[in-house]
Amino acid sequence: MVIFENVRKVYDDGTVAVNNLNLEIKEGEFVVLIGPSGCGKTTTLKMVNRLEECTAGKIYVDGNDITTVDPVKLRRGIGYVIQQIALMPHLSVAENIGIVPRLHKWEKNKIDKRVDELLEMAGLNPAQYKYRLPDQLSGGQQQRIGVLRALAVEPRVVLMDEPFGALDPISRDRLQNELLELQKKLKKTIIFVTHDIDEALKLADRIVIMRQGRVEQIDTPSELKNNPVNDFVKAFIGEERLAKISPEAPIDIIIEEPGLKVLPDTKASLVLNHLEDIGPESAQVVDRNGKWLGMAIVPDIKKVAKLGGYIKEAVRLERKLYIEEATLRDAAEMLADRDLPVPILDENNIFLGVVTHNGIARLTISRLQRKIS
Amino acid sequence: MNSDPTFMELLYKFVAKNYDRILFLTWQHIYISLIALGITIIICVPLGIYLTKNEKLTPYAIGLANIFETIPSLALLAFLIFPLGIGNKNAICALVLYAALPVLQNTYTGIKSVPPSLVQAARGMGMTEMQILFKVQLPLARPVLIAGMRVATVWIIGTATLAAAIGGGGLGKLIFSGLASIRYEVVFAGALPATVLALFADQGLKMVQEYYSPKNRAMRLARKAEKLEKINREEMEENCQENMVSG
Repeated sequence: MVIFENVRKVYDDGTVAVNNLNLEIKEGEFVVLIGPSGCGKTTTLKMVNRLEECTAGKIYVDGNDITTVDPVKLRRGIGYVIQQIALMPHLSVAENIGIVPRLHKWEKNKIDKRVDELLEMAGLNPAQYKYRLPDQLSGGQQQRIGVLRALAVEPRVVLMDEPFGALDPISRDRLQNELLELQKKLKKTIIFVTHDIDEALKLADRIVIMRQGRVEQIDTPSELKNNPVNDFVKAFIGEERLAKISPEAPIDIIIEEPGLKVLPDTKASLVLNHLEDIGPESAQVVDRNGKWLGMAIVPDIKKVAKLGGYIKEAVRLERKLYIEEATLRDAAEMLADRDLPVPILDENNIFLGVVTHNGIARLTISRLQRKIS
Repeated sequence: MNSDPTFMELLYKFVAKNYDRILFLTWQHIYISLIALGITIIICVPLGIYLTKNEKLTPYAIGLANIFETIPSLALLAFLIFPLGIGNKNAICALVLYAALPVLQNTYTGIKSVPPSLVQAARGMGMTEMQILFKVQLPLARPVLIAGMRVATVWIIGTATLAAAIGGGGLGKLIFSGLASIRYEVVFAGALPATVLALFADQGLKMVQEYYSPKNRAMRLARKAEKLEKINREEMEENCQENMVSG
């Protein structure tokens, strides 16, 4: 839907804002551009509707090289939302939403109907809000109107430049959720600029991390979290995320593979041998369906092995945490009580992994580093 | 006893005898002022807009207007005798130069004070430069623009009284001839209408300004909303009745 081909932008003063950008955005994809300030993310966005012209390379929107399209016509077909909201203060809500339809010379009735439809879609009663001036709305409501205005003529591509950056955290969260809901229904191609990694991780299908005009990594949120390509990306994601880890945070970020996972019908003596070879003090007993049957520790396994029994006879069931409700604090307390891994289960007793002293220690170290720097 | 007539009696007598002349001069005064104001606006508003797009010229243009502004008005009229001779043409020309500054400056400042984010949003939505000017910049600059015109109008009406000094018309004629003949009732008969004219013109423009104020705009919109609600309610009631009939 939107393709960047070796795109480069050099400003008159010689600053290279965007350097050789290649990116292909599919129809209906929600792509977030992120990076520290001055990384070229906003410039990249503005080149799509030609508020900035690229110095070299090509950009295609819907298959057309944008330099061959009249910029005014191009912009009328692309939604645009900016951080300053920029509703026209002298126009009512209805007139603001109707700006682009009027530019398209829609009939008055059609515009009126479309405005009502959009307001209803955003959960705003048309009779109540249509004739208000922007000043009479809260910041959150204003930006809702800003988003509706961009959607009025059903553009297939929508550009959003830090649209929620100026809102308070509660409105921001609410508008993010609404945007996600809307996107599920409308399936627009959205290019969204932000400097808030949490916002990016929450909204994006794919995230483009930029630094000094270059792309560092383009990936899905989970890929970025799991496989950051370099230290910059790691720091960019880790730093922001770790900054918000509290003792009440869920434990999924420190879950790891257990030292030993065995089927219930394994001979206890076999497990014991194995444990003595590789080191850990315990084994997780899990059946073929992934269901957790308990955890066995070395002294118990020794007893059962002497009698020639199976590992399932050695299990203990009381040490475990459910992922839905457990917090880092719960895990840390259990680990402080006894230095043994804590198995983590989902609500169907499916085994997900363990939490260990090591995990907590690593988390602490990364937080300490952050505090020092 | 045969005492001197009072000032009021003299004034009454003068007005009764010369009311057609006073009316004519008042009309002439309005005419001169309107033409001067019209020319000022036609020249200075577009020039002000042009300056917002060519910032380098701004200090020169505003500086020039400032100089004309600073020259004493009577002196300016006198200077213009050389190129333009005496009469209304000269007077109108001087008035335009004199009133240029507030209109020029306020057009420039008014448009400059429109937040750049609004212009960017307008451009990003696909407005042409003309549409941005007429649908965003000028409406938003309107209060400042009208304020400039108010100042210009009051100055023009006031200074137009001096046109008589260089052979032009207007209420200044009464004032000057009254002063020359030491007949204060004649001075007054010219000064009063000139004052009233200035006050009315100022108030008139103020009303225009207030009509477009956000408060009044909000009120007009609220009325529209009420009307809409009424229509909705009536429609609902009608539907109810229809349902009842068919039910």
